Amino acid sequence: MLATIFQIIVDYHQALIQGLLVTLSLCLIIWSVGLVLGNTLGFFGAKYPAEIGKPSRVFAFILSGVPILVLLFWLNYPLQDMLRVFVSPFLTAVVAISLVNIFAVAEIVRTALIEFPKQYIVAGQVCGMEAKEIFQKIQFPIIFRQILPGLLTTQVNMLQLTLFASLISVAEIFRVAQDINSVIYKPVEIYTALALFFLAICLPLNGLALWLKRRYTRNLSEK
Amino acid sequence: MLIAENISRKIDGQDILKNISLSVEKGKITTIIGPSGAGKTTLLRTLSLLDYPDSGKITWDDKNYRFPVSDKKFHPAWPKVTVVFQQLFIWPHLTLRQNILLPLGNITAEHTAHLKELVDIFDMGAFIDRYPNETSLGQRQRAAIVRALMLNPEYLLLDEITSSLDVEQINSILSHLKVVKERGVGILMVTHLVNFAQQVSDNVIFIDGGEIIEFGGVEILKSPKHERVQKFLSVIKAVS
Repeated sequence: MLATIFQIIVDYHQALIQGLLVTLSLCLIIWSVGLVLGNTLGFFGAKYPAEIGKPSRVFAFILSGVPILVLLFWLNYPLQDMLRVFVSPFLTAVVAISLVNIFAVAEIVRTALIEFPKQYIVAGQVCGMEAKEIFQKIQFPIIFRQILPGLLTTQVNMLQLTLFASLISVAEIFRVAQDINSVIYKPVEIYTALALFFLAICLPLNGLALWLKRRYTRNLSEK
Repeated sequence: MLIAENISRKIDGQDILKNISLSVEKGKITTIIGPSGAGKTTLLRTLSLLDYPDSGKITWDDKNYRFPVSDKKFHPAWPKVTVVFQQLFIWPHLTLRQNILLPLGNITAEHTAHLKELVDIFDMGAFIDRYPNETSLGQRQRAAIVRALMLNPEYLLLDEITSSLDVEQINSILSHLKVVKERGVGILMVTHLVNFAQQVSDNVIFIDGGEIIEFGGVEILKSPKHERVQKFLSVIKAVS
């Protein structure tokens, strides 16, 4: 089977590379948008809990009840039809998955900021440290270590969600694999190759998240 | 001298501190005892200016802080007065050594020598480079005290620092406090251990319901005048 997989990769390398590039660019945009806007929303959600935090949580809660596939289809077909606009499926996928990513990241950041033990700040104050110094040397490093594994795991999930973009005709790697399969009909080999591809990317990232969690996430309680 | 004059504080409409006046002298240990909910920790937080009283005056040597405060926020002169809390607040992302050195900024040879001396006194050599989650509560307790001492405070406020320690560790803290006191640091300590207070204190304050009920030398623990103190001590004696 390995020989067949290898042969398929060689024969269709151009299409596969094209699909891979679409997946990676989709992913990079979703990661960047999610991390930048999610961190910002999470930060302001913690700073202004009533004005930003609560509405953001309500929206995140509603969003969590909508399957990504439904969201993707709704944004791609009925919404565009209602508004009488045409947005490319790639952009629609970016918007849909980024929305999920933004609110997932915001929740991780907001919770970490809100639950940050205030006593660590007090300890810095009574030791004569300035507010800026306390933020740079105590608050930020502790929060960063707390949220990093969660952020990595979320980004791996986002990479996996990009597969759904194929269902609204985005020619990403899964769509390319489907097209190749419709020509040569070798589903076992093609989807095994696809699984290996995702394993090669997701496993190291998940492993890194786990390692960071073990290495840096320390017990914040005093027990 | 650290002086509190007529300080009062309400929380959620309840009087937590009522017109309290006391003083802490340098080179002396003043102990606050009293039942749970008496206002001991609130008093410590207020004296260290982590929380402001509603009224009264707090003096840290030449610095006067009058309450209620005007709109202009003042910056307390920490770590001239510093606090070691019941929960130790050791930063979890740093080793104990890093915890102790972080507030000092740039580390000088003098700091290094001072730390070495304190590490020897507090017998911390075996665990100073461990992370807090790799150490026992007693070890973290010592690190919290050393972190405060490295800042050369003139007054050290200690909130129930013996609460999670065993007898041996309490004895060790007791001898270390005597060393700190001999260096001229004024210590105000909240504790529920009457024996511990008896051995280490120069002055004792008994508070209950946010008020000072009795104040005096260590002898008030042996022959208290006020009925409330007598009752409290007799319960403690019966339990121990």
